[in-house]
Amino acid sequence: MLRFSIQRSTRYFSTSIPRQQQHLTDVAIIGAGPAGLSLAAALKANPTTKSLSVGLIEGSSLDPVKNFSQSPPENFTNRVSSITAQSVDYLEHIGAWKFIDQARIEPFDNIVAYDGLSNSRIEFDNMEMGTMCENINLQSCLLQRIEELNDPTLKIWDSTKVTNIANDTDDAANGWPVIQLSNGDSVKTRLLVGADGFNSPVRKFAAIESRGWAYDRFGVVASLKLKYEDYRSIAWQRFLPTGPVALLPLPEKNATMVWSTTPELSKLLVGLPEDVFIALANCAFVLPQVDLNYYYTLAQNEEYDELLSDIKWRFENYTSKPTIDIEDFPIALESVIPQSRARFPLKLSHADSYVSNRVALVGDAAHTTHPLAGQGLNMGQGDVKSLVESLELAMKRGLDIGNLLALEPYWAQRWPENHVLLGVVDKLHKLYSIDWSPVVAVRSWGLDVVNSLPMLKDFMMKQVSGK
Amino acid sequence: MLKLSKSLVSQIPKVQGTLGKVTFSSSYTRQYSVSADEETKHFNHLAASWWDINGPQRILHKMNLVRMDFIQQNITNSISLNDKSTPQGEEVYVPGYNLNLLPKEISEQILSDQKEKRTKEYEKLQLRCLDIGCGGGILSESLARLPIVKSVNGLDLASEVVEIARKHKDLDPIIKNKITYELKALESVNKDEMYDVVTMFEILEHVDQPGEFLKEGLSHLKKDGLLFLSTINKDFVSWFTTIFMGEYMLGIVPVGTHHLEKYIDYKTLDNLMGQQKRFEVLSAKGGSYFPCYGWYLHSHPEFGNYFMAIKRIE
Repeated sequence: MLRFSIQRSTRYFSTSIPRQQQHLTDVAIIGAGPAGLSLAAALKANPTTKSLSVGLIEGSSLDPVKNFSQSPPENFTNRVSSITAQSVDYLEHIGAWKFIDQARIEPFDNIVAYDGLSNSRIEFDNMEMGTMCENINLQSCLLQRIEELNDPTLKIWDSTKVTNIANDTDDAANGWPVIQLSNGDSVKTRLLVGADGFNSPVRKFAAIESRGWAYDRFGVVASLKLKYEDYRSIAWQRFLPTGPVALLPLPEKNATMVWSTTPELSKLLVGLPEDVFIALANCAFVLPQVDLNYYYTLAQNEEYDELLSDIKWRFENYTSKPTIDIEDFPIALESVIPQSRARFPLKLSHADSYVSNRVALVGDAAHTTHPLAGQGLNMGQGDVKSLVESLELAMKRGLDIGNLLALEPYWAQRWPENHVLLGVVDKLHKLYSIDWSPVVAVRSWGLDVVNSLPMLKDFMMKQVSGK
Repeated sequence: MLKLSKSLVSQIPKVQGTLGKVTFSSSYTRQYSVSADEETKHFNHLAASWWDINGPQRILHKMNLVRMDFIQQNITNSISLNDKSTPQGEEVYVPGYNLNLLPKEISEQILSDQKEKRTKEYEKLQLRCLDIGCGGGILSESLARLPIVKSVNGLDLASEVVEIARKHKDLDPIIKNKITYELKALESVNKDEMYDVVTMFEILEHVDQPGEFLKEGLSHLKKDGLLFLSTINKDFVSWFTTIFMGEYMLGIVPVGTHHLEKYIDYKTLDNLMGQQKRFEVLSAKGGSYFPCYGWYLHSHPEFGNYFMAIKRIE
């Protein structure tokens, strides 16, 4: 629709001050994470919306993403997401998935979730359950797709921070958002899309309230090496009273973990010596809670030698019990990639609305969730799909794409869906945080019943994989 | 709560007595579209809130969405895949029988060829549009934003509303130069001004002689041009929905917008078009509004609001 037009600012008469440019776009996306890049690629791949001029603004440098396809890092990065079959379909639809580095993704067709207190378990076995993929791999495939489309009306500003967002007139109903960039330029846009994460400046500009609560839990992520390759392609998750610990498959001997736990323990886990961390992580998937509590105390007191020798002895004793089948557990961990441990706070949040006049929110800017269901990134992909469809319909109807009439269908479709998912994940987290034995007994019975009903499991699988 | 005025009661339908009275007359001298000053005054009063999509005109903004769907669908459907200018050998195959008879791969191939050609022809369009009764420009702006529209000329008689329309179009650089608004009656338009698309949405129920008015609109249509209209049947359903519920009970339409005696039936217009050899009704749809959902188009134009697409065939 709009060509990039550049207006010289006339406010400065002194030639010593560099001239500032005002760029004009139809859609300005803030944030080049998976959601922001997907949106840019999807808009340009769609025959109707490709005529929109798009600006993508990212605070950090995209060089690591650009270099990823040519010279990928030797070890796996620690930001890995589960991508559902539905998200893969959409990425194929917009022509990006063909650029994914196939050697660095791992599809899984089994999920095993078990109770840390009762060892009651549920197993899902289904083709195309999901694919584990590094976020940078996904970003790289989207960026390559954008390069392939080679559309002159898409401009990317990376290493460029947003210093301010304001309306160009006092009349909020008719004004257009103007984004001030750290390089001195500004972007005036018909539609501003916030793909700018949990602390979304765009959401604040639009004065959209976000509600929710912190879980008082942190997620510890780490890139790991297994003792040997696991050919079972299973995503493991054990519900401990402090939060679930998940081990997710990556190619060959690699795996990644998300260990949700209390703030104190998360800090401890990230700081432990590597061999102690691996020993504790191995325990977390197998040993009873009482043993884990003892080892946490030893680790807190830095009695590492005692801890390592006790774990070795306890582990051998426990796993050699006739009632324990070691096949029911993940392959033991061998080592952790140096500097790959990190932690982040877990919270539930949901924006009251995803749209306001000339503003739309996608991804974490609109909602954040507990990682136990692996839905965070996929919800963002669902947002992008719905937003592009709404904009396409709006353009066929000749609407101004920043108008609420154009944006309302997006919000009406996505908000209820996301709200249900956020609620289910939240209740799961709460149910498994309880260690009172009657509740443990009931939830274990419930899990066993569900595990023996294949039709119900299929239904649940459809909900999780989006198919 | 219920503000049933005398004028409302007097509008309860006398359906039988008024059907089919509208005819084309071969000559006319008086201005039939300058409908009583009251109409103009009523719409001037609404000017300030015209573009507030959550204001009194919300239902009209919502209706515009289905208007555009209806227009797009008919423009797409009326594209001829093969005409005289198509070079030999490049025609798209349009079989004269049901495609379901063919194997799925072949019928899909035929359909995708047709779609590709239709898209190609669609993208070539450069339409000149005349929007009669443009009001604050809701439809004019939507038309102007389509890449297939070259220009839109909007006419209305309410000066304050036209002023709002002029100011509002300047807010968007891509339509600013595509639209011109004129404070002008349809019969003052130059006889030789011809258009590809003429629209008469929600206007026939506000003029005194709708048949004459429609004929005047059709006279500005180029060959193969399309006229789109929507108006309201003169029946109990219309009175109940547009006046009783819309204006008085729910308050979603400004009071005084509608007058039942000015409504015109779909059958009347359809009969009129049947007498015209140069024109053909391409499509007619009924439209219903559901609160919380919006407008919905259905295949029963005989009740309540209805939409028509008319094509000049020679």
